[in-house]
Amino acid sequence: MSKLDITVEVCGMAGDGTIAAGGLINEGMSRGGLSVLAFDSYPAEIRGFGRCVTRSRIGHERRTALEEHTHVLISLNDEQSLSRVPFLTDLSAVFFDNRPPAPVPEESSLAAHVEPTTALFGMPFSDLAAQAAGSDRGRNLVALGGFAAVFQVPSELFQQAIVKKFKSKGQKVVESNVRCFQAGYAYAQERFSERLRDPISFPPRKEGPDIVMLSGNTAIAEGALDAGLHLYFGYPITPATPIMEYLAKKLPERGGRLMQMEDEIASIGAVLGGFFAGKRSMTATSGPGFALMTELITHGVMSETPAVIVDAQRGGPATGLPTKTEQSDLHAAVFGGPGDSARIVIAPTDVLECYHLTMKSFQLAEKYQIPVIVLTDFFLDNRVESVPPPVAGDGDGKDMTVYPDPDAKEPYRRFKITESGVSPRALPGMEGYIFTATGLEHTEKGLPDYTPENHSKMTEKRYRKLRSALEDLPSPVEQAPVGRMDLGVVGWGSNFGSVHEAVNRACERGLKVGALKLTSIYPYHEDAIRDFMSRCDEVLIAELNFEGQLANLIGHLHRKEVIRLNRVTGLPMPPSVIYKKILEILGETDS
Amino acid sequence: MKTPGPVLAEQIRRIEDSKLFSFRSGQLPTWCPGCGYFGIHAGINAALWQLGIPHHKVVVVSGIGCAGRYPFFSNTYGLHTTHGRSLPVATGVKLANPELTVLAVGGDGDGLGIGGGHLPHASRKDVNISYVLFDNSIYGLTKGQPSPSSPTGFKTKVSPSGTTERPLNATLMALSYGASFVARLFAGEPGRIGEIMAQGIRHPGFSFLHVYTSCVTFDKEYKTWDHLKEWVHPIPEGHDPSNFRAAMNLVLDDDFATGLVYQRGGNG
Repeated sequence: MSKLDITVEVCGMAGDGTIAAGGLINEGMSRGGLSVLAFDSYPAEIRGFGRCVTRSRIGHERRTALEEHTHVLISLNDEQSLSRVPFLTDLSAVFFDNRPPAPVPEESSLAAHVEPTTALFGMPFSDLAAQAAGSDRGRNLVALGGFAAVFQVPSELFQQAIVKKFKSKGQKVVESNVRCFQAGYAYAQERFSERLRDPISFPPRKEGPDIVMLSGNTAIAEGALDAGLHLYFGYPITPATPIMEYLAKKLPERGGRLMQMEDEIASIGAVLGGFFAGKRSMTATSGPGFALMTELITHGVMSETPAVIVDAQRGGPATGLPTKTEQSDLHAAVFGGPGDSARIVIAPTDVLECYHLTMKSFQLAEKYQIPVIVLTDFFLDNRVESVPPPVAGDGDGKDMTVYPDPDAKEPYRRFKITESGVSPRALPGMEGYIFTATGLEHTEKGLPDYTPENHSKMTEKRYRKLRSALEDLPSPVEQAPVGRMDLGVVGWGSNFGSVHEAVNRACERGLKVGALKLTSIYPYHEDAIRDFMSRCDEVLIAELNFEGQLANLIGHLHRKEVIRLNRVTGLPMPPSVIYKKILEILGETDS
Repeated sequence: MKTPGPVLAEQIRRIEDSKLFSFRSGQLPTWCPGCGYFGIHAGINAALWQLGIPHHKVVVVSGIGCAGRYPFFSNTYGLHTTHGRSLPVATGVKLANPELTVLAVGGDGDGLGIGGGHLPHASRKDVNISYVLFDNSIYGLTKGQPSPSSPTGFKTKVSPSGTTERPLNATLMALSYGASFVARLFAGEPGRIGEIMAQGIRHPGFSFLHVYTSCVTFDKEYKTWDHLKEWVHPIPEGHDPSNFRAAMNLVLDDDFATGLVYQRGGNG
């Protein structure tokens, strides 16, 4: 049996139930034990005529990237789906409404545009829904039924998914949706019996934890909760808002508090206030909001106040592409703001890392008394992956604050210069340690002092924290490690998923190619990265920005100029693009 | 440094013994001699002393400017933040630890200019913090530019022919934003500041104290001590601070009546 790896796409107009249908496919397939990686794309406008597309990569193996092509297209609106036709592979299947509620212009007919090898499954979605449930609102479920029958997916998988999704809306809604699904299933089984496709094969059921569908944003929120988050302050912005919405429900259940602030400046200000008073606090935003926060982030650096900030990157600059993905805030995250302001920047590459690295960020922030920025992006935040429910480690909620020694003989110095750069931190309310923290350069006691000696000493102290923190920051991970490589590919954030897959493909072909996954963006493990690069003839850094921002940061560690692969389409980089680049660099032909 | 003579030493000992001064830190304020901020400092300290709040249970959060330096001169925990941001930071501190007494302090440039967007929200969120606005209608630390509360026609280095804008009225703003405790005071009356400040700290919500003060160095024309003393007067007897309409009328009719303007839920 060959390994299953198919991409299923639902495409429609805003309001067609596209996202709901896609979600049910993900839930149903992962219930059957398949691995799912799914990503929705939707317009930035709420109403209107935007196209909604959900894409689900389903297979026996866990995948971390999406290709551009599609095997199955479920069209809820043919005009919108036309643009997806060029991405259909040979032997694709297309489901469409052959009696849609509104007439489709002739030139928009899907049937007229697909290749002859494409299997067309025309079904009267609207009529069947109307018969089954009294209105055509359930036509997305009829389509789902058609898909399930043709690919011989056990109908109970989808029915369970439907019950789970709609049970909060009452038994009537659940029943009418199930009836729509069944109507589509029965219709397709009857009409298309001779054309039923190769069945989707499900792996035998394994014992173990149930698999959950988790988005990057939910994983971040869960990671923060398990880290002992107490206060969340935020301002709505795509694509970070779902973190706040999720926490609004969950944080009070755990005794915490969430407050929507008037802007991003207020949000980071309140986070600093919360952490200053000793409680784990966090905010999440995207590029434009992050830009507003930078002044206070550097205040956190100067006043040595911890903070956790998620920057869910989207396309920029300015408001840019609100619902599209990009990795172009790296420079802003590492360098943004006035002065030499040493902060920590970490970037998860998949959903589970979103959970674990968010949790880690609280420990780092507290232990090193420094703002920690978690860099994600739209593709990582909004995609869902089928994963085992993440579990916190033993020490993950542990208080990492370095408190002053109560038996110390000398008077308390809040900003005492130490070897590690970390000074004991007293919290307001503690008797005997009164101090003032300031954004001005200050003495060990915290009083303003602009003398040359003091500023150099204190700047050095703050940077020493980064050196110390490196020991606690995740090391780079090599993929397919071998001694020498013809080419090494470096990736970070969600784009590493594509690097991973492209390098896998190259290795299967027998090429001497390896990959390096970077999650510690700043400070970074210079020695380990240099070691990897020195074993490569060429180094390629693939990222979703125009400048090659990671390449700018670490490129000098290679003795030759690193090769940059940059793309700014607003979409994730398909692995095939990286794979082609690998072949090109190594002088191989694509066959 | 010279050793103080017996008379001065005796004076220092008396000051040190007096609990009233215990909320002063060891730092000599960097304010100019004659600055109104000394009066406000004395008032706030008197309130904290009178309420018997332990020093380590108080956090003073400030922005930037002459008033921004306040935390260094206060024998409490302090957080000197960025320009205009004291209110959201103070909100975070209070939510993290409600047992702390949290004061936000700042000048008119800080609170009405760069940070002007935070006052409405602190007012409507009604978090239990106290905000003291030191209003001298000028940017002092940057050496004399007009502020949002400077009067029309005010001549400064960047308005040599006089400003053309209309001034903001902070008391009126706080009232209309829905602040639950609003008072207007005068830096020349530390006793009143202490008394009403204590009420504001006890008030279980956001309390706003708008304090008129003078910049003796950069304003020789408008809010001078002489002018302030002439203009400022107590709120007429019989004003009912629980009556919002009466409070609005009072503030609309009289820019310089001082005292407790409004408190939602009566005095308590």
